[in-house]
Amino acid sequence: MSGEMAAALAAEEAAIYAYGILGVKLTTKGDLTEARSSEAIHRDRRDALVLTLAALKASTAPAPAGYELPFEITDRDTALRLAIQVEDGVAQAWRAVLPVTQDGDRATALSALTDAAVRAARWRRLGKVSPATLAWPGRP
Amino acid sequence: MVLDCHVRRRQVLGAVAGSAGLAALTGCGLFGADPEPAPPPDALQPVLDEALTLAMAYERAGLASPDLAARLSPMALDHRAHATELAKLIGATLPSGGASGPPTESGTDALAELRKAEQSALKTATAACKAAPSGRAALVGSIAAARAAHAEALR
Repeated sequence: MSGEMAAALAAEEAAIYAYGILGVKLTTKGDLTEARSSEAIHRDRRDALVLTLAALKASTAPAPAGYELPFEITDRDTALRLAIQVEDGVAQAWRAVLPVTQDGDRATALSALTDAAVRAARWRRLGKVSPATLAWPGRP
Repeated sequence: MVLDCHVRRRQVLGAVAGSAGLAALTGCGLFGADPEPAPPPDALQPVLDEALTLAMAYERAGLASPDLAARLSPMALDHRAHATELAKLIGATLPSGGASGPPTESGTDALAELRKAEQSALKTATAACKAAPSGRAALVGSIAAARAAHAEALR
């Protein structure tokens, strides 16, 4: 279980980093509000995971000092594309936690997966990407 | 002896649904006609039923408002995909045929209705994921997430 949780932690760290970069290129008020609240949620998830992993006495790899972005963020379009990619990645990481947890931990993982899918749909809508949803959020 | 006969009958039923199996069944003598209690429905049956109901609701709404069809049809397909995988998983047979039934409202009313249906179906899938054995949790979790994302996309 701790391996999957550590992967979720890495995905949340990457999301926080990505929002810091992509936020600069967003232009509309709606975009910015969404980016700020998304980043805050990823920070909360990250903090909760750190506590869970500490309780499990699992060692987590230290977060890398910098992340490599999958492509260059030059404008609103590339920023939105990264936001979609980040949320899809977070959904994937949390989906993998579902089979190895139960009860409260599974509920947390499911809520994180669901939230990420909802935010990805929102970013697709803001970026006029069609379709706005995936049949299987989080499936690799 | 009776027990043996029952066990064999179950095995035969499980293995072959064809006429060879039925022929073997009739050899079970006096107790061969015992009605088998129907197995309880699979815990995912309600999730499957909702996937089909939702798919048909989207298809009907798309027929009623052709300008919405392009937006709605990918979501109908998502639900069809969920139904197909769930049916395979639990060994259910999918009914054939597409949207039928009374026409629905058009335009924004239709979207609001669909959204409400997604939110209610999300609750079912969420509960089913929490209760699922580990081998099913990811599949049902993705279905719950898709329903939540649909509700968002309908805003």
